[in-house]
Amino acid sequence: MNTNNNVYTVIYTTVIVVLVAALLAFVSQSLKAKQEANEKADTISQMLTAAGYATKADLEKLGNTAVLAKYDEEIDEAFVIDLNGKKLRELEGNDVYSPKQLKRQNYNIKGGPNKTGEPEIPVFIFKNGRTVVPIYGAGLWGPIWGYISFNPDHATMGGAYFDHESETAGLGAKIKDDPSFQAEFVGEKAHFADANVIEIVKGGAPKDAQGKSVVDNKIDAITGATMTSNGLDAAIDTWLAAYAKYFLGLTKCECEED
Amino acid sequence: MDAKLKETILNPIFKGNPITVLVLGICSSLAVTVTLKGALVMTLSVIVVCGISSLILSLLRNTIPGRVRIIVQLVVVAMMVILVDQVLKSFEATYAIDKQLSVYIGLIITNCIVMGRIEAFALGNKPWPSFLDGVANGAGYGLILLIVAFFRELLGSGTLFGFDVLNRFGYVPNNLVILPPFALILLGCIVWVQRGIQKDLQEK
Repeated sequence: MNTNNNVYTVIYTTVIVVLVAALLAFVSQSLKAKQEANEKADTISQMLTAAGYATKADLEKLGNTAVLAKYDEEIDEAFVIDLNGKKLRELEGNDVYSPKQLKRQNYNIKGGPNKTGEPEIPVFIFKNGRTVVPIYGAGLWGPIWGYISFNPDHATMGGAYFDHESETAGLGAKIKDDPSFQAEFVGEKAHFADANVIEIVKGGAPKDAQGKSVVDNKIDAITGATMTSNGLDAAIDTWLAAYAKYFLGLTKCECEED
Repeated sequence: MDAKLKETILNPIFKGNPITVLVLGICSSLAVTVTLKGALVMTLSVIVVCGISSLILSLLRNTIPGRVRIIVQLVVVAMMVILVDQVLKSFEATYAIDKQLSVYIGLIITNCIVMGRIEAFALGNKPWPSFLDGVANGAGYGLILLIVAFFRELLGSGTLFGFDVLNRFGYVPNNLVILPPFALILLGCIVWVQRGIQKDLQEK
């Protein structure tokens, strides 16, 4: 058989490409449900970590079903608000915002050509009294996102967990892998009224003579990962500013009661 | 097993190692060797991709039109890479590691070892030896990957497979080891050792 003939070549490549495309489409469709379940369990375990229920590693050991069950058990309220802090609708049946949805909302918050509608940002209130909100932004190589939890006073942070798509392992990836970086957020206060809600800077907060921090919203950046740290700083400021009216509204009410 | 088949399997592991002797697949050996776990998953993925693509293309070898053979190879290898990525994403046990390796699984397609072995071996040999050649080359690649990852994780993070080894003795992890250049230094050392053992590799 002459395999160098033009007609043969065209037919051969067409057939092989169509076959491969069909196979891949089939595989992608049949595995989709499993992949989405994995992604959802991953997202939920990140929120549970930020809310302080367990460490991410421990939650991963539990497996998807147990993580979902834990979420069902511990979630008190999950709803979506607009930028004025007005509640728009409840989030039903384990609807946690996936990183893809966060990306869309990130465009909506920032405006610009990719804006698809008015921002709808989620709030998750857990039974331990902590409120978890997501953040999303750009790292050095790709998107970074994460969750920050607030204590019942709606200003002090109870925990944080960050994730990324492709930051440098050992450097930028520390936002995810280094528990001591995430632990720095605990106890710091978000200054919702300021432009810099939280600052991630080299050296962290300036210290007084006793070695105590004089400001309560500065986090020590990651050495060797300035771009990722700056990206995370911007992501946190953008998103927490979007939640500012919601949180300030809550604290204000308490003040009036006093 | 006859001698030729044995040679096909053993040669890529040491004497004709794709990384240290053929100097293929260097890029990914810098990128995914920060942790042993990542290197192991990468190794297994490359073995699967390399073995099965070699097998498929060897089966097709007499029907492939000569002028578009590279494109046909590319289509088959790309298919295998996407399959591996999709499967890794679907299992609870491998989801996290797939996320960690992120783009590098997809980049297996650019790993010169895969296409190199198909072009050099699978297109001219029967399916069974071609399959073994693919697997052996993947294993040879993986062996170097694991050696590099062993030192990088041990010295760079003080752990092995995520378990604390050195940190408990007050070891301060060396950040330089985490950075890609150190993988090149280690790789250079491995080539040095191999050339010391295997005198025929040395230039006169």
